[in-house]
Amino acid sequence: MPESDVLRGTLDLLILKVLSAEPMHGWGVSQRIQERSRGVLDVNQGSLYPALQRLEQRGLVDSEWQVTEQNRRARYYRLTAAGRRAVGQETANWRRYVTAVEYILEA
Amino acid sequence: MGFRNAWMRVRANFRRASDEQDLQDEIQFHLDQETAKHVRHGIPPDEARRRALAAFGGVERTKETYRDGRGDRPLADVGADLGFALRLLRRNPTLAGTVILTLALGMGSVVAIFSAVSAVILRPLPFTQPDRLVALWENNDVKGWRGETAAPANMLDWRERVSSFSGVEAWTNFTEEAIVVGAGDPTALRAVAVTGGFFRLLGVRPALGAGFDDGDTWSTGRRVVLLSHRAWRDKFGSDSSVVGRTLRVDGRDAEVVGVMPGSFGLPSEDTEMWTPSHWDPQDRGQDWFRRAHFMRPVARLAAGVSIEQARAELMTVMSALEREHPRINASMKADLGPLHEYLVGSTRRPLMILLGATGLLLLIACANVGNLLLVRAAAREREVVLRRALGASWGRIVRQALTESALLSLIGGTVGLAIGWWGTRVLVAWQPAGLLPVSNVQPDARVVAVVLMLCAASAAIFGTAPALWSAQRPAADALKDGMRGSSAGRKAHLWVHGLAVGEVALAVTLTVAAGLFVRSYQRLTLVDPGFVTSGTVALTLSLPTRRDDPPQALTAFYDQLLARLRAIPGVEYAALTSHVPLTATGLTMDFAIRGRGSDGAGREVLHRRMSRDYFKAMGVPLIAGRTFEDADGIGGEPVIIINQTLATRYFAGRDPIGQYIANDFTPDSSSVWRRVIGVVGDERQVAVGTPPQIEIIDPIYQDPRTGFHVVVRGRGDPSALFRPIESAISALDPMLPVLSIRTMEGIVDRSLVRERFMALLLAAFAVVGAILAVIGVYGVVAQAAQRRIPEIGIRLALGAAPAHVRWLILRHGLALTAAGAVVGSLVAFAAGGVLRQLLFGVSPRDAFTFATVIAAIVVTGVCAAWFPARRVLRRGASEVLNR
Repeated sequence: MPESDVLRGTLDLLILKVLSAEPMHGWGVSQRIQERSRGVLDVNQGSLYPALQRLEQRGLVDSEWQVTEQNRRARYYRLTAAGRRAVGQETANWRRYVTAVEYILEA
Repeated sequence: MGFRNAWMRVRANFRRASDEQDLQDEIQFHLDQETAKHVRHGIPPDEARRRALAAFGGVERTKETYRDGRGDRPLADVGADLGFALRLLRRNPTLAGTVILTLALGMGSVVAIFSAVSAVILRPLPFTQPDRLVALWENNDVKGWRGETAAPANMLDWRERVSSFSGVEAWTNFTEEAIVVGAGDPTALRAVAVTGGFFRLLGVRPALGAGFDDGDTWSTGRRVVLLSHRAWRDKFGSDSSVVGRTLRVDGRDAEVVGVMPGSFGLPSEDTEMWTPSHWDPQDRGQDWFRRAHFMRPVARLAAGVSIEQARAELMTVMSALEREHPRINASMKADLGPLHEYLVGSTRRPLMILLGATGLLLLIACANVGNLLLVRAAAREREVVLRRALGASWGRIVRQALTESALLSLIGGTVGLAIGWWGTRVLVAWQPAGLLPVSNVQPDARVVAVVLMLCAASAAIFGTAPALWSAQRPAADALKDGMRGSSAGRKAHLWVHGLAVGEVALAVTLTVAAGLFVRSYQRLTLVDPGFVTSGTVALTLSLPTRRDDPPQALTAFYDQLLARLRAIPGVEYAALTSHVPLTATGLTMDFAIRGRGSDGAGREVLHRRMSRDYFKAMGVPLIAGRTFEDADGIGGEPVIIINQTLATRYFAGRDPIGQYIANDFTPDSSSVWRRVIGVVGDERQVAVGTPPQIEIIDPIYQDPRTGFHVVVRGRGDPSALFRPIESAISALDPMLPVLSIRTMEGIVDRSLVRERFMALLLAAFAVVGAILAVIGVYGVVAQAAQRRIPEIGIRLALGAAPAHVRWLILRHGLALTAAGAVVGSLVAFAAGGVLRQLLFGVSPRDAFTFATVIAAIVVTGVCAAWFPARRVLRRGASEVLNR
């Protein structure tokens, strides 16, 4: 099973984590998630955009249209202050969750 | 939803077009990047593009999710639903028009009547703390008085002794036509005398100037008047300088101290002037001051006192007054009630009946609309099931149905509001005087709120009911039904039929009520009032300038006046009377017959003064004895004429002629005995529907006074006499205005205006209701007949007689209307008691009315079924030929 779907709910965390490094456009985010997960996670790229929209509505990310190096118009997403706080919190939540699941699986 | 989110949603609605472009650009950018990546890895562009799209996973789906996420979806859908609904309405304009018109008629009638109810009953009186004001009245079981006017002396005693009242004031129970000189031509203003503290008690201040003082109650006070806002506007050109000006009022100088606000209309909206009561302080201890009942007292409850406490105290005080004045106040009681209730008392019941009638009409309209929409929903069931199968959620379908019915209801409500607004104006313009005690009747916020509620309710019911009802049916069934072309299921059948029967039932109830009022009115018009109405003119004159003339001068003036009137060509008789029947009755008195015990004494006998020719002018027959002669004048023997009711009731088996009657219940040495010289036929004095009262008539020449009426009998059209009469009077005395001049026919007609108004209005509602009900029956029968066309074709082909087939359809209409008629008559039968008080000579369970209404409804119902029957026969036959 070389590829697996991103767990429901974790996509937001992944996006936030990726964006915490630098502002990026949607395609960039999808590439970065793929690279970072060493090809294991294959984000359905289309689902990125509703997720980004959701994050923007929650005030965790901001977006603006910029011109890329290839001189194309692209929408760049950037973490807001609230988004930065959320990364820490969500990461901690995730770790607790994984640990809990580990306990159960090893029991 | 945070503020930011909400803002984005709102913004999204305005920016949908540019957002859509952004979304397109963003996805395009993504796909281009992805494709470029694959191309960089050596994959051919076409394949690269394919892979990019695959990785993206459904561009359109993403866009949809994204659009949903924008949060403007519900609004966008409403737009789509509205568009869809409008298209449907355009496609079926007859249905839409019928629904809208039906709703509009129903709501319009409710708006008009509810506006009146709101203005009259719901709106508080425009006084300070109006709920603390009570009306007071006197009751006397022995005399049969209920809610009678109070004697001034009793009223003043209440003021002094009942501590539950912080004040007691009163208006006099009669309106006088006061002749006012000082504003151009002499003009007559309807004036009411009030006690000095009246306006202060109510807490109403004049719009201009000042009010009366407590001292003005007594003749030692000022001679002042207050004008109504309307009189100030119409008769004095809204001239503020009128305040402080001195006018000649009934021949005496009086200063205008103020102008009341337009909202003030007590005792009546058409009161034009208020004068202080100006009682002589000497009268306070006089018997007559406690014997004459002519005040309508109003009291303000003291702080913290309840109505019950005040009533108890009033009763105690009244018992004390009965002990202190045993002769005058014998068995006299008093009671009180909220002023508002008291003022609207006689209006409440007719208004409530009218409101009930419009309610029935609205229910019929709603049932009709419900039926139309149900029938259509049945026809559209297949569409709904298909949409459902294609993935539409129930919520979505119900929402769409709701949008459609809300649109219909809203248009219906708007048109209804317009009809109601117009109807209210017509109602106010045509309302008989006294039906509505207020003039500013117009749809207010409350009315609009009611209409909006009605709209919302009808939209909710008509919108969801059909959809929910189809929801309960398994899709397969519905689709099968749809395929077969017969769409309505059993449940729909029941609903549609139930609604049609209900509609007919409501229409029957409404029509029976209307029929009863029409018959009651008809009975009234057939009543013989006891006088001849054709060819008779009645006019009202006042002689303020001759108020202080000696009696001889007055009778001389009468002679001149009557001689001039008789000299007019075409005039046969001219006579004077103190009261014209059906317009006013005057005071009542006690009486006793000489030489008889208590069986020969009575109370409450009406009194009128008349001149010699009155009976000839009015066509009142002389039954026994003689009428007045010229000798029955000043200084002559006191004589009287009695009416037949008095003769029958008090002289049974005796000859009244030559008997003597005094105006005292227990005569003493001071009593004046007057000889009965004649008995005349009964006139209906109070109202056409009220039996003649016992009456004693004095010769006016023995007691001449200044305010009086003239009756003139002529040949031909009585209104042709108006001008000659007026010029004859003006030639005699240019300062003597004719206050009113009317034909007796007009007076009788006007006295029935209230009954006619009720009958007409109810009949109009009933006709609309019946038409709606018949349309409902027609719709149901036609729909059912349509479905049966194939079956009927087969029947015809197998040799069924057309008459038999026609009967099949007619029977359907008959069954619906008959069932409705049975239910409706039962309801009308049970509820009839409500109407009893307002009906004349007709039982609320009048068999003729019920039979006529039922027959009419059933016949129209069957007629309504005739058209579908004819069509089905024709179509059924051609169907057979086509196969």
